[in-house]
Amino acid sequence: MSLKDTAYRFKEFWNDFKRERSGLVGLGILGFCVLVVLFEPAFLPFKDVNGNWRSISYWEDNPRAAPPVWTNLFAKQKSATTVQYDEATVSEEFVTTERYPGGVKMKVYSFGYDYRYDLSPVDLIVRMTASGNLSADIDVVRPDGQTIYLGSFIESGMKDSPLRFATDTAGRNNVLSFIRERAGEFGINMSNTTGVRPTQLIFSQLEPTMLRSRTPLKGEYTVRVKVPAEIASAPGNEIADVMLVVSGRVSGLLGTDTAKRDLMSGIVAGLKWALLIGLITSVVSVLIGVMYGIISAYLGGFSDTAMSFVWEIFVSIPVLPVLIVMSAIFKPSIWIIIASLIVFSWVGPVKTVRSMALQIKEETYIEAAKALGAGKARIIFKHMAPLLLPYSFANMALAVPGTIVFEASLSLLGLGDPSIITWGQILHDAQSSGATLNGLWWWIVPPGLFIAIMGMTFAFLGFAMDKILHPKLRTR
Amino acid sequence: MDTILEVKNLRLYYHTSKGVVKALDNVSFNLKKGETLGLVGESGCGKTTTGVALLRMPSPPGRIEEGSQIVVDGRDIMPLSDKQIRKDVRWEEVAMVFQGAMNCLTPVYTIGKQMMETLQEHRDMDKVQAAELIKEYLNLVGMPPEVMNRYPHELSGGMKQRIVIATALFLKPKIVILDEPTTALDVIVQAQIINLLKKLKKTFDLSFIFITHDLALEAEVCDRICVMYAGKIAELGTNAQIYGKQGPMHPYTEKLLQATPLLKKKVDTLSFIPGAPPDLIDPPKGCRFNPRCHKVMDKCREEEPPLLEIEPGHMVACWRCVK
Amino acid sequence: MSIKDDDVILRVENLKKHFMPHQGLLQSLSGKPKKLIKAVDGVSFSIRRGEIFGLIGESGSGKTTTGKLVMKLIEPTSGKMIFNGEDVTQTDKARTQAYRRQVQMIFQDPYASMNPRFKIRDVLQEPLIIHKIEGDQAKHEEMIIKSLTEVKLNPPVEFMGRYPHMLSGGQRQRVATARTLILNPMMLVADEPVSMIDLSTRAEILHMMKDVQRDLGLTYLYITHDLSTARYFTDRIAVMYLGKIVEMGPANEIIDEPLHPYTKALISAVPEPETGKVDLIKELPISGEIPSPANVPPGCRFHTRCPYAKLECSAEAEPELMDAGNGHYHACRRWKEI
Repeated sequence: MSLKDTAYRFKEFWNDFKRERSGLVGLGILGFCVLVVLFEPAFLPFKDVNGNWRSISYWEDNPRAAPPVWTNLFAKQKSATTVQYDEATVSEEFVTTERYPGGVKMKVYSFGYDYRYDLSPVDLIVRMTASGNLSADIDVVRPDGQTIYLGSFIESGMKDSPLRFATDTAGRNNVLSFIRERAGEFGINMSNTTGVRPTQLIFSQLEPTMLRSRTPLKGEYTVRVKVPAEIASAPGNEIADVMLVVSGRVSGLLGTDTAKRDLMSGIVAGLKWALLIGLITSVVSVLIGVMYGIISAYLGGFSDTAMSFVWEIFVSIPVLPVLIVMSAIFKPSIWIIIASLIVFSWVGPVKTVRSMALQIKEETYIEAAKALGAGKARIIFKHMAPLLLPYSFANMALAVPGTIVFEASLSLLGLGDPSIITWGQILHDAQSSGATLNGLWWWIVPPGLFIAIMGMTFAFLGFAMDKILHPKLRTR
Repeated sequence: MDTILEVKNLRLYYHTSKGVVKALDNVSFNLKKGETLGLVGESGCGKTTTGVALLRMPSPPGRIEEGSQIVVDGRDIMPLSDKQIRKDVRWEEVAMVFQGAMNCLTPVYTIGKQMMETLQEHRDMDKVQAAELIKEYLNLVGMPPEVMNRYPHELSGGMKQRIVIATALFLKPKIVILDEPTTALDVIVQAQIINLLKKLKKTFDLSFIFITHDLALEAEVCDRICVMYAGKIAELGTNAQIYGKQGPMHPYTEKLLQATPLLKKKVDTLSFIPGAPPDLIDPPKGCRFNPRCHKVMDKCREEEPPLLEIEPGHMVACWRCVK
Repeated sequence: MSIKDDDVILRVENLKKHFMPHQGLLQSLSGKPKKLIKAVDGVSFSIRRGEIFGLIGESGSGKTTTGKLVMKLIEPTSGKMIFNGEDVTQTDKARTQAYRRQVQMIFQDPYASMNPRFKIRDVLQEPLIIHKIEGDQAKHEEMIIKSLTEVKLNPPVEFMGRYPHMLSGGQRQRVATARTLILNPMMLVADEPVSMIDLSTRAEILHMMKDVQRDLGLTYLYITHDLSTARYFTDRIAVMYLGKIVEMGPANEIIDEPLHPYTKALISAVPEPETGKVDLIKELPISGEIPSPANVPPGCRFHTRCPYAKLECSAEAEPELMDAGNGHYHACRRWKEI
């Protein structure tokens, strides 16, 4: 078949397809999915999610089990969102500090943060990469003019070392001592300091009850990293990539899980695996099934009976238990999972294809080909298979949802490939961390929903294709 | 003889997305009581369409156009409502044996049950009465009453055709349209069925419209022959006028007849008509047969010939016959 | 037989094909013995080089099965086929393939006999590919054009790009013929090649087939139920009834002076385009319908329907084909009396 014919057939198919509304919806969603996979980085809030899903340090800046940001829309008290500032404003100032009473020239990296929420962020994290020796002070200037010293970096002999300062842990004492110093002036009751986060204090008005109940202090905050100019400019010393992460109470489009992982990144990164598993498994298994059906029908007689018998054995094997055992024996890898899914799902189209092939086998042109001397292979591949392939396209689409769900089930049982992210594994993690018990619905609903949407997409496509391609089987 | 059916200016057009297919264009003929009228022509010339139009059941997107008249036994059935047609005309006055109807018997029911169903649909009858009537009709078509308990696959083609004919006659129609009733049958069975039809016609005083592509068969059955080409009547004449010494007048009929192989006479070469029937969306200008005609004149390419009576009872639509 | 051996291209000797009917579970439990369907029950004939041999019969007579046996599409139960002096009844793969190059078939339905997804070019190239005919695409195209020209499809190049459904019935049958010709066969089996074609163009196809036969020196086995075209088209005719040949001889003689009562009945049943027969009930010297090949009557298999049958016809053994002179064979013991 030449390219022109194929193009013509496709055009004909497309004209029919355009009329199937559900098919168009399916195609639209699929197109979007493909776009997301192709331009994955653009959709990923965390670009390196793919290798780091199970890394603890990669996610440490995120809040733990934070709901999606859009929950703010429905909440009375607005929670601070997670924001990351990659670019610091650099300036040089002459300041006097405790350590440098005579005053010193400082290089200041400052970040402006506009706090407009009712509930404070959970952490303020400063990161940088440095070489050589470094001493730096970190403080925050509040809208009310107060400056809170958070802590310092004092390091030496570094070589491109990553530095991280988390206010929640490292700055706790400094923040408390700041409050204690002002306790007298503002009449703050310092009776109980446990259970209060440093960030809660940073973002609250100074008032007597602030350790128990707080009024948010809204306005422009500035987080500053101050390095003495002579240290900053000393040969061999280097400071780069200074950044601030405001770890919010709500985070990302889909929230985070208890391991601080951004779920949006997980879902987006899981899409390609869902497509890969679904498409490879269904295409390969349907092709095998269709060919099996055609060959069985064409050979007939004893071969047909034997092939049907083998088929019956495969259909009657309880798939899930066998897969569980297989995953337990083999090291679970995505390819093993795909292979074992294929082993059990090729049986799907066999019987229908066989019955259709039996019909085609009786067509005169098959007999004519035989009379010309055509061999089995030629009749099967040249005459019968091309007629049944359209049917198998529809079948492939319809097989995709099943395989996606199957992989999810395997992952849910803890038998997934740990080196990749799949929606099933996200669900598995949610289940084992008791997400349902703790009400972390954003951890459960999206992966489940996306599995369902992906299934629906292919089901729509499959039904539409089935409707169009099936009548074409009538050869006259 | 009384006229039982009069068709005037029957036009049946298919309104398709590619254009209007003029499947029947101003077809007029009549059928006398007790007569058999044959409709002949190549496939696609409008024979079956005429038959279906007479039952007023054109298959969509076909439509019988305004101005067409079908007068059955003195009553024009065109203005009747669909309900009236179903109740009074279809199967009651005009019955049709469709082509291949014998292959449409339901394989899972016995012959008796299927015949009973047809009967009870139209007549208020209990089972015993109906069974009696069915046996009577089976006898008429030369079948033993035991056939009632048989399934279609147990019967031969000829037997099934007899069943179909018996079923068509149940409601005592006046006109029976037979569409290729013997095409799939062997010659001997065909001759048997033709004999049966001739007998039934006498018994019930029926009028037949006999549709076939086989001119030889037509000669044995039909009192008058109507030759159709591309949705129009080309020639209409009595059996003697078409098959007699003088021969047909229209070049199309002439060629068709010459293309029919004869059994009793060895001919050296058979004629054939080159080309294929025209596209009815855009038929050729002038006479529709002109591109394939061996006697074509200049006028044939310009003007459409009228259907004229050139001798009593013999109508021809050919410029060669217009004096 | 009187025909000289070198003249014979295909000799069929006592060829039989019995089918085992499919039995349901209940039937096999009831223990009733299976009844063989004797589709072809001892057929013998010889086809001469360059002749058109007609095999005539009603449906159920076994003529199509005989055609398939000759094509080696099915295996015979017993009997022998000798093609070109070589026994081809049992052949290995290579010899079957070689046989198929020499014997080709034209089917009844020219559309159904072509894959609807194949273009005419592919349809015609298929035999070349199957038989690994040497040459590149250009060489193949040349051969395709040549065979399309032989069947008078002009211009050939234009037809090559079309699909079967874009052609008329007659054109399709021409393509089907071209497909068989492309391998330069010696013999063609044509199973009702014109019965699906409109009467007006039927003669055109028959002319074409005859021209091709004359030009290329082919032999035809023409299978049909239609006596009229058989008379027009064939040199010799064999009439089959219920799996056996009942009469065989030159076409004109069979039709003009039939000897077997079955042939007589067949001929009398054929309608002729003559006037004056409308009010007549045709007399048919035959009764009933053809029995099932699973229940072949004993003795002469035609006796159940024969108007001339006597006790001896059913009681005595079945008559074999007898020569009535000048190659006119028949299988009726009472042929002189009737």
